Amino acid sequence: MKPPRHPWLFTAIATLVAAAFLLPVYWMAKTSLTRPDRIEAPAPQWVPAPVTGENYSTALGYSGLTRALLNSLVISCGVVALTLLLGVPLAYALARIRMRGSGAMVLALLVAQLPPAIVLAAPLFILERRAGLADTYLGLILADTTLTLPFTVIVLRPVMRSVPPQLEEAARIDGCGLPGVLLRVVLPLMVPGVVAAAGLSFLIAWGEFLFGLTLTQGPDVQPVTVLLNSFVGQHGTSWGALMATATLISIPVVCVFAVFQRFIVGGLTAGSVRG
Amino acid sequence: MSRSLSPSARRRREGYLFCLPGMAFLALFLAYPLLYNVWTSVHDVDLGQLLGGTERFNGLDNYRTVIGDPAFWHSVRLSLIFTGGSLLFQFTIGFALALLFARPFPLGGLLRSLLLVAWLLPPVVSGTLFRWLLDAESGAYNALLEGVGLGALSHDWLTDPATSLAGVVLANIWIGVPFNMLLLLVGLHTIDPELHDAAALDGAGARQRLRHITLPLMRPVSVTVLLLGLVYTFKVFDIVFVMTGGGPVDATRVLSLYVYEVFFTFFRFGQGAAAGLLLLVVPLLAGLLYVRRLRHEDAAPTGGAV
Repeated sequence: MKPPRHPWLFTAIATLVAAAFLLPVYWMAKTSLTRPDRIEAPAPQWVPAPVTGENYSTALGYSGLTRALLNSLVISCGVVALTLLLGVPLAYALARIRMRGSGAMVLALLVAQLPPAIVLAAPLFILERRAGLADTYLGLILADTTLTLPFTVIVLRPVMRSVPPQLEEAARIDGCGLPGVLLRVVLPLMVPGVVAAAGLSFLIAWGEFLFGLTLTQGPDVQPVTVLLNSFVGQHGTSWGALMATATLISIPVVCVFAVFQRFIVGGLTAGSVRG
Repeated sequence: MSRSLSPSARRRREGYLFCLPGMAFLALFLAYPLLYNVWTSVHDVDLGQLLGGTERFNGLDNYRTVIGDPAFWHSVRLSLIFTGGSLLFQFTIGFALALLFARPFPLGGLLRSLLLVAWLLPPVVSGTLFRWLLDAESGAYNALLEGVGLGALSHDWLTDPATSLAGVVLANIWIGVPFNMLLLLVGLHTIDPELHDAAALDGAGARQRLRHITLPLMRPVSVTVLLLGLVYTFKVFDIVFVMTGGGPVDATRVLSLYVYEVFFTFFRFGQGAAAGLLLLVVPLLAGLLYVRRLRHEDAAPTGGAV
């Protein structure tokens, strides 16, 4: 659409809208930095004064928080690695190679995103228990990857298509096998798409809750989302410490998003218009 | 042997090898568990059987038990209200924001991206946050009402069975708005700007152009976005579980929480599996409609987002 007549007026309106919309996030950070005795004051302060780190030390003193943050990091990185390992070749083959069954596979990947997580968590609970995968990093990484893999392939496929086929043909004539074409020609050209897919997979795994809740038991493997939920039960009214925990969980999300913002939004919308 | 293959056949074979690990993974960890769920749903399985007994085939008994359970239908009703309420507002607000952000203006891209933070935060975080905002004693929501002189309207949202569902829907709307906005923006950008120019030349005002150009042209995209929203909203679990745990009593026990309870609280695996498969019906139908549209349309959001 064409630029409005008063573009700065739009900027002002949009800033107000965004500020109002993100007020809850501000409130979370604000509460986490407010002295506990001021948090529940009858007239809430808009700006915490004095700023305090007390809530953070309380939260980090709760048993298991550092361990749970570490667990989430290990699990999320594992999910990203497994997703890319399986997803990149799959997306490439589906984007580029005329094969029988590729239409059916794309359909299967779309349908794979439909089942509610609880419908999968229930049988996985039984099956992973029998296979000895319950309460292990691997068990949770495998479960989370069922969420990220179909999504990643659907996002990456159109990106792979945008690589000019002539480049690949030239490489093949020079004697490159398919793995060589993918690694040396296609991947370097689609770093942004792969980065977007990796970032989104990380965010999905980092925020995942239900598999963590059902497939892990103890503090050794439990992701931080599950721990936050049990904090709500245990320390239900210590809002300062709860918001400090929530903020700690959100920081990596905001960082990943800030760094990869352009790629992620691009990746989402690239996947969204069929070319 | 590979020497006898033509280059294109060799390429195809390599292509299948590329697909194999990913598809095998999904077969093993997605398709097989779902099929196993079907098997469980026609057997009498509880914790005892799981720990070493033998499961007994019991036909459709589990389904009969679930369908005969008034709590199941209560959950169906809650899920429908939750989904309907969420979609209505997510979509409307998302559409309004998309109209605003479709125009190029300074900082527009940055502000649009900032909104996405609401959607990217882990639902457990948003759920905890909204619990705090809606807290009766000192939550920001009631303080805000107090501050503008509407203290009489302040309310204990989440612990009153009459309003707890509304509180959960509110949080879910907040999460869903950016996603709707983003997909609708993609749709808006596919509208040929010349249509607007031509209409403007003919003297059509902004409102007329919205009504006669934008809205009709956005209809297919809107249907797609709503179908996708239906799939994602009907299966929401985290936010409700964290905010209310399904309560007070059963006031917010939507279908996904019902399945969770039967399966993981009462360990009635057979019935849980049956209820889970019944929960699958709505997303599956909406999803298949969505996939069909995707194949018929040239430009439709696929947003593989979860």
